[in-house]
Amino acid sequence: MTCRSSNTRRNPLACLVVSFGLTFWCVAVAAAQTPTAPGQMPMADHRGGVSGTVRSAGGIAVAGATVTATNAETSAQFTATTDAQGAYAFAALPMGKYNFTIESSGLTAHTRSEIDIAADRTPVIAITMYAAADGQAAASDPQALLAQIKTLEQRLRELEARAASSEASGVNALSTSAASQQQAGLQAPTDRLAALEDRLNELETRAVLSETTTYVKRVDVWVDANGTEYDQPVPGARQEVTYRREAVYRRESIGEKIEEALADAEKRGVQLGIDATSVTQFASRTKGDPDAVSGNAYALASADLFFTAGLAQYTVFFADVVALSGAPPDIEIPGLTLLNGYTARLVNQNELNLREVWLRTELFKQKLALVAGRLDLTNYFDNNAAANDETIQFLGDGLVNNPALGLATNGTGFAAVFDPKIGLNLKFGVQQSNVSATNLSDSIYSLAEAGYLMTIPSLGEGNYRVWYRTTNTGNLNNQAFGLSFDQKVGPVATLFARFGDGDLPVIEEGQTSFSLGQRFYSGGVKFQNGLVLNRWDSWGIGYAQTEVPDTGEKEKMTEGFYNLQLTDRLHLSFHLQHVLRSASGTESLGYLVPGVRLQAAF
Amino acid sequence: MINVKRVVVAVAVVGVALATAGLAAQAVKITDPTYAAIVVIRDSNEIGFLDIRTNKLIGSVFLGNNANPHMAAYSPDGRYVVTGGTRANKAYIIDVPTMTLAKAIPVGVGPEHLAFSPDGRYYYQGNPSSDSISVIDMVSLTEIKRISGLPEVLNITFLPDGSKAYAGTYGAHSVTVIDARRHEVLKKIQVGEVPAVSKLDPDRYLSEIKGVSNASISNDGRYLYAADGDLGVVGVIDTREDKLIKTIKVGKDPWRAYMSHDGKYAVTVNNGDETLSVIDTRTNRVAATLEGGPDMLGVNFAAGKMFAISTTSSFVYAYDMRTLRPAGRIKIGANIQIETATTDTADEKMYLAASTNHSIYVIDGRTLAVQQIPNVGLNPWGTHIMHSKDNYCH
Repeated sequence: MTCRSSNTRRNPLACLVVSFGLTFWCVAVAAAQTPTAPGQMPMADHRGGVSGTVRSAGGIAVAGATVTATNAETSAQFTATTDAQGAYAFAALPMGKYNFTIESSGLTAHTRSEIDIAADRTPVIAITMYAAADGQAAASDPQALLAQIKTLEQRLRELEARAASSEASGVNALSTSAASQQQAGLQAPTDRLAALEDRLNELETRAVLSETTTYVKRVDVWVDANGTEYDQPVPGARQEVTYRREAVYRRESIGEKIEEALADAEKRGVQLGIDATSVTQFASRTKGDPDAVSGNAYALASADLFFTAGLAQYTVFFADVVALSGAPPDIEIPGLTLLNGYTARLVNQNELNLREVWLRTELFKQKLALVAGRLDLTNYFDNNAAANDETIQFLGDGLVNNPALGLATNGTGFAAVFDPKIGLNLKFGVQQSNVSATNLSDSIYSLAEAGYLMTIPSLGEGNYRVWYRTTNTGNLNNQAFGLSFDQKVGPVATLFARFGDGDLPVIEEGQTSFSLGQRFYSGGVKFQNGLVLNRWDSWGIGYAQTEVPDTGEKEKMTEGFYNLQLTDRLHLSFHLQHVLRSASGTESLGYLVPGVRLQAAF
Repeated sequence: MINVKRVVVAVAVVGVALATAGLAAQAVKITDPTYAAIVVIRDSNEIGFLDIRTNKLIGSVFLGNNANPHMAAYSPDGRYVVTGGTRANKAYIIDVPTMTLAKAIPVGVGPEHLAFSPDGRYYYQGNPSSDSISVIDMVSLTEIKRISGLPEVLNITFLPDGSKAYAGTYGAHSVTVIDARRHEVLKKIQVGEVPAVSKLDPDRYLSEIKGVSNASISNDGRYLYAADGDLGVVGVIDTREDKLIKTIKVGKDPWRAYMSHDGKYAVTVNNGDETLSVIDTRTNRVAATLEGGPDMLGVNFAAGKMFAISTTSSFVYAYDMRTLRPAGRIKIGANIQIETATTDTADEKMYLAASTNHSIYVIDGRTLAVQQIPNVGLNPWGTHIMHSKDNYCH
């Protein structure tokens, strides 16, 4: 730039400032068009770019190679030089198709044709250059090389045809055809190899993603009086919820798509579960009347079929059908509590019995759960972690439940559980306790419970519960209350205990076998995660004492069990019970009852 | 009369000033990476940067079609962000100050989780689909080695002195020890024995394996806590001798252990029974087992609490770490899937990615208040804050 103005000729300093300033401005503008160093590509403007690396056939970076990009329409040329890592970059090329030529001393020049430069995108193109000697060697056996290239092209055409047939978009199919045609026009082996590489890259991009991944999304929209829908708030428009399909640019393997489809189908369908248990026991009299039964074996088999289905948001339907068959010891050896807790389910032999069917929903950010239908309220109350499940823990009902609860049978009812996940929960339930009741006001059993989680340093967590029960069976109001806790003592052992005291509900016609007690104590310990034969096994020892002062009956029961988890679905457990029963004016009667339980759950 | 000479000089001076400012503004977009949280925007194929002072997106870097980044991390000096493009089989290096893509490096198949050596010289990119780790030299920005023989390698943990790295292999019941100077496998440490009763259920053990996804390191670098999903245990490994010193029974199907910031506890999320096991690292015993939710794949610590992310239920469960009791749960939204979160260096706020509604949620650990940052991009998968103690991926 020269200073031609008469004023600047008289003032060289001004000329220098002007020249420098304007030159600096031009340099700054030009710098916005090209990168200052390879690899730094501003993404803010709306031109396109391309970058990549140039390596030799041995994988070594080619520094100082000249990369020339020529616009196929305008013939405008842009050049870049590879750096020490072989990297090059064009940051802001005008959009269009480009032919690239890469030249480096001692290496055969490389060309790439018809590269599309699109707005705001910078594809990465890796280039391999071959030594001039390699080119000569290829020339010395050109037939073999050409034959190999021809074979590869044929295979690629077949793959492209397969990919094109599964593609939804015709544009992709057209581009495949264009790539093939382009290749057909090339003669030099290196050009054809380079074109093959490009087509493989393109095919790889499309081959796994056979179709665009989409999903349906719940969105907020704004709708005005004319019904026009907006994605942003608009004055006068009301906000509404709608559903819309969205595409995402994600590649998924076929295996992932299948897995997703199966999980979706499972979520929408009815899930079925099966629990089958067989309990075999043997009773040997240890004390009392020599004429009382002794030495008999007993067995009871139970099959539970349960169904679960999601009906609505946070709403689940559940049904449980059970059938039992066999002779439990409780028929010949009656007592205050059941020696086999499964006996409580026995209504009629070999008959399907609808045990439970209910609907459960969750409200208030899922803090409150409401259940209504035919229930077993004991499922919701006094859920002692160590002694509550007759399928894998104790067998005797005196250690599975609290006889002072006095619940006879399943029935129509309602339960509410408030659990804000702060270690405090409140429960309330109402259930009819007589299947022969003629109206909903008859034989109503009500239960309320408060539970608290406490973590004692160096011991672990403990759950503490207090409950209160009222019944109106036989038109007589009866109440009882109880306490229950399960407290970890280290990582291996859990202590548990229960207490109950109150009036005994009147037994009405239609009520089946159940455990009863006016005053009740139980306690024991359960072990797992240690002192076991196999990692998932558990075992426990417990003692339960049940009293009915009104009749002078008393029962003391001790039980030990070892539960062996054979597989995730199969458990085998061994039990040993001793029960001592006494009544006013009669001699105590004692039995030793070993047993085996085999349980399978699906 | 206008003095032409003065006008021309003034224009030139203004031109210099504007050009300089323009150059500066274009060249440097992030001056302090500690305030720029990384957002992995998986289905937009981008890495986003979120200013955590204003909770606004600074911008994003496009990696390429179908890159699908999985996890990202800052280099220790904050100069680069690295990520693996799971569907592109490439590692991407982003220049942070200019927010530009510096390099794309072909690596193994399906790159997911990664880790930097403490000195920042190397970055290990795990490729679980090809059972390998790509060793990326951060000086030359090239893959200098590929360590193979690592069944479904997920997370990699370096010792603080950078001498060794420990790879969690989800396809095996062991942790692989790697010499981080020579980038070679030293040994494999078995975390637990498969129980003998497994012979009764071959279908279960042969169908799918849930091994060790991660070996979490104690604050002093002395011990590793490696959870095994199938075995339901956490193996405690002494890093001085590379020896298993204890096996701790936890809940069913533990995903991995997360270390509390004070080093007192290692917490596993047990997705088989929806519980959390809190292990006291002084005694290596379970101090508490707490109720959680389904599909928990992340734990963060903030404001004296622990937060477990239940991805499919949209709940974040809170627990008081002083009393080891539940402290409520936060409902992020209805029918949205939440992913993982990072915690700021003040241990006050968490930045949670919610993939299905394209948002980041800022959760105040003290008040449990939640603020949504919408429209960050398609399917944000994770976040990362430089020097955070809770940078992880699922």
